[in-house]
Amino acid sequence: MTLGAHFKVRSEFASSSYRLLPLRFGRLDGDRYVATNDVGEYVVLHREDLETFIRGELAPSHPSYRALKSRHFLFDDSSRVALDLLALKYRTRAERTANFTGLHIFVVTLRCDHSCHYCQVSRQTEDRASFDMRREHADKALALVFRSPSPAIKIEFQGGESLLNFSLIRHIVEEAVRVNAFHGKDLQFVIASNLTRLDDEILAFCKQHQIYLSTSLDGPEDLHNAHRPLRDGNSYRAALAGIERVRATLGPDYVSALMTTTPESLGRVTDVIDEYVRRGFRSIFLRSLSPYGFAVRSKLVRRYDASDWLEFYRRGLAHIIDLNLRGYSMREELSAIVLQKMFSPTGPGYVDLQSPAGIGIGAIVYNYDGSIYASDEGRMLAEMGDQTFRLGHVDTDSFESVMKESSLIDVLEASLLESAPMCSECPFLPYCGSDPVFHRATMTDTLGHKAFSAFCQKQMGVSRHLIQLIEDNEPARDVLMGWAR
Amino acid sequence: MQGDEKLVDGAIALRLDVRTYRLVAIKKAAYRLADRFTAVIGTVDADFVDVTLRFRPATTEATAREGTRAFYQELLDQELREHVAEETGQIRTLILAQAFSRTGLFDNE
Repeated sequence: MTLGAHFKVRSEFASSSYRLLPLRFGRLDGDRYVATNDVGEYVVLHREDLETFIRGELAPSHPSYRALKSRHFLFDDSSRVALDLLALKYRTRAERTANFTGLHIFVVTLRCDHSCHYCQVSRQTEDRASFDMRREHADKALALVFRSPSPAIKIEFQGGESLLNFSLIRHIVEEAVRVNAFHGKDLQFVIASNLTRLDDEILAFCKQHQIYLSTSLDGPEDLHNAHRPLRDGNSYRAALAGIERVRATLGPDYVSALMTTTPESLGRVTDVIDEYVRRGFRSIFLRSLSPYGFAVRSKLVRRYDASDWLEFYRRGLAHIIDLNLRGYSMREELSAIVLQKMFSPTGPGYVDLQSPAGIGIGAIVYNYDGSIYASDEGRMLAEMGDQTFRLGHVDTDSFESVMKESSLIDVLEASLLESAPMCSECPFLPYCGSDPVFHRATMTDTLGHKAFSAFCQKQMGVSRHLIQLIEDNEPARDVLMGWAR
Repeated sequence: MQGDEKLVDGAIALRLDVRTYRLVAIKKAAYRLADRFTAVIGTVDADFVDVTLRFRPATTEATAREGTRAFYQELLDQELREHVAEETGQIRTLILAQAFSRTGLFDNE
C-alpha cells in the first residue's frame, strides 16, 4: 500500500521561510520566464512557479528551489552569507568602472582612399590635409591620456584611413612610450586601417612596438567590394594582402577584422562566416549598421531593421556553433560579450555595453581638430551637426574640466539603466548597456523610449536567444560556455 | 469584463480596479506597450480607473484584442514586480552599501 500524497517527507510541507533577494524577470518565450539578479545570474521558470516563488510559497523540495538559492534569488536560514556574497560579486563587476578611462582614440585624419557607402565618420578626400590632426594637438591629447587613473591604457588610431597620417602615429607612439616610462602603465596600441597603405616601414614600426592592426572584411569579394569602393583598386584584395603581410611580419594574432552587415549580406551570413574561416580567423563580430554619417545620408541604414538583423545573427550563430562542433574553433564576439556578462565574475571590458555608459569614462576620443568627444559615435554625430557629446578641446580644457564640468556627468547620469524606464525592470539588464549616442541619433534623446528602440530590440533578442540555446540545446551550450571564459 | 472589450473608433475602453492593479503597475504596463497602443489613463474614482487604449488607424479588431490581452498580462507581471520591489528594496540598498563600503568612493561624513 502506498502512503499517497499526504505522507511525503517533512520538507515538502515546510512553511515558507525564505526571503526574496532583488531580482528582475520577464517573459523568455511561451510560458517560460527568465529571472536575473544584479550580478548576472539567471534562472528560467514557468510562469506559475515564478508567481509561487515570489509569493513566498515555493517548497524547498521544488526542483527550482536549489537553483534559486544557489544563484542568490532567495535566502533562508541556512544561507545567511548570501548578502555578503552578492555584495562581493557586485563590487567585482563594478570595479572596471572605477578604473576609469582605458581606451583613448586618436582620429589622426579624416582623409580616406575609400568611399564606403556606410562610412560613419564622414571621411574626406585624400588630398585635403586640413583634415589631419596637428602634432601640437596630439601632444596635448597625450597629456590628457596619462591623466587617466586607469592602470591599462589602450591608444587606438582611427580615421578616415589612419595610415594616411602615419608620421603622426609614429610620433604619438614614440612619445607615449617615452612618457609611460615614468607612469608604468600597461600600454597598448591599435591601428584601425583598411591596410591599403601598409608598407615595410610601417610593418617594422608596428613590430618594434607590438602594435595591433584592426581592419574591415565584410565577407567574400563581391559583398566586401559592394559598399567599399576603393579609388583605382580592389578593396577586398588589398585587405587580404594586408592581412597576410601583417601575419607574416608580426604574427597571426596581430591582425583582427570587423564586418558590417549590409542589406546585401543579410541573406548570406554563412558566406560571410566561411570567408572568415577561409582566411584563418577564429572570431567574427556580427555587427549591424550604425545610424551615423554616410549610412544615414545614403539611406542604407533604413534598408533593414532590428528584426532582420536578429534573423541574420541567429542563422550566423547556428553556423558558427556548427563549425565548432565539426572541429573549427571560432567564436562570435557579441555573443561572447553577453555570455561573459552572464557567467564571468568581472564581465567583459567592452565599453559599448555598460551601465553607466562607457562614454568618456570607458573610452574618449580626440578628434583630428583637437576637439574631445565622449565616444567615437559621438564624434560621428558631431559630423552630422549634433555636438551633444563634445566635451571640450585639447587647447582649452583640462582633464578635470572635461570630466567634471562638461555635459558628460548629465549624460552619464541619464545612462544608468538601473534607473531608466523599462530597463530598470528588464531581466536582460545585467547583459545590456546604455547607448546614449544611438538614442540621441535615432530619437533625439539620450535615454530614448525603449519600446521603440532598435538597440533594445537587438540586445534583448541576443540575450534571449543565448539563454534559449543554453537551456534547450546541449551541444550549443557546451560551445557557448567556452566563450564565457 | 476582460475579453468583452470592443474596438470603437480605434480604441478599447477598460475600467480597472486599483485594488487589484496598482496605479503604478498600470502606468508601467502602458509605457512598456507603447509601441502597440497609446494608453489614456483617467483619474481614480472610488477604487476604479478608466483606461482607454488607442490603437493606430486601420488596426483590426483582432489585433486590438491581442494588444488588450497583452496589456492584462503585463499588468499581472507589473503587480508581481511591485511585490518584489516592496520586499527587496531595503535588501538591495544593504547590498549596495556593503559592496561599496570599502572602496573609498564615499565620504565618511
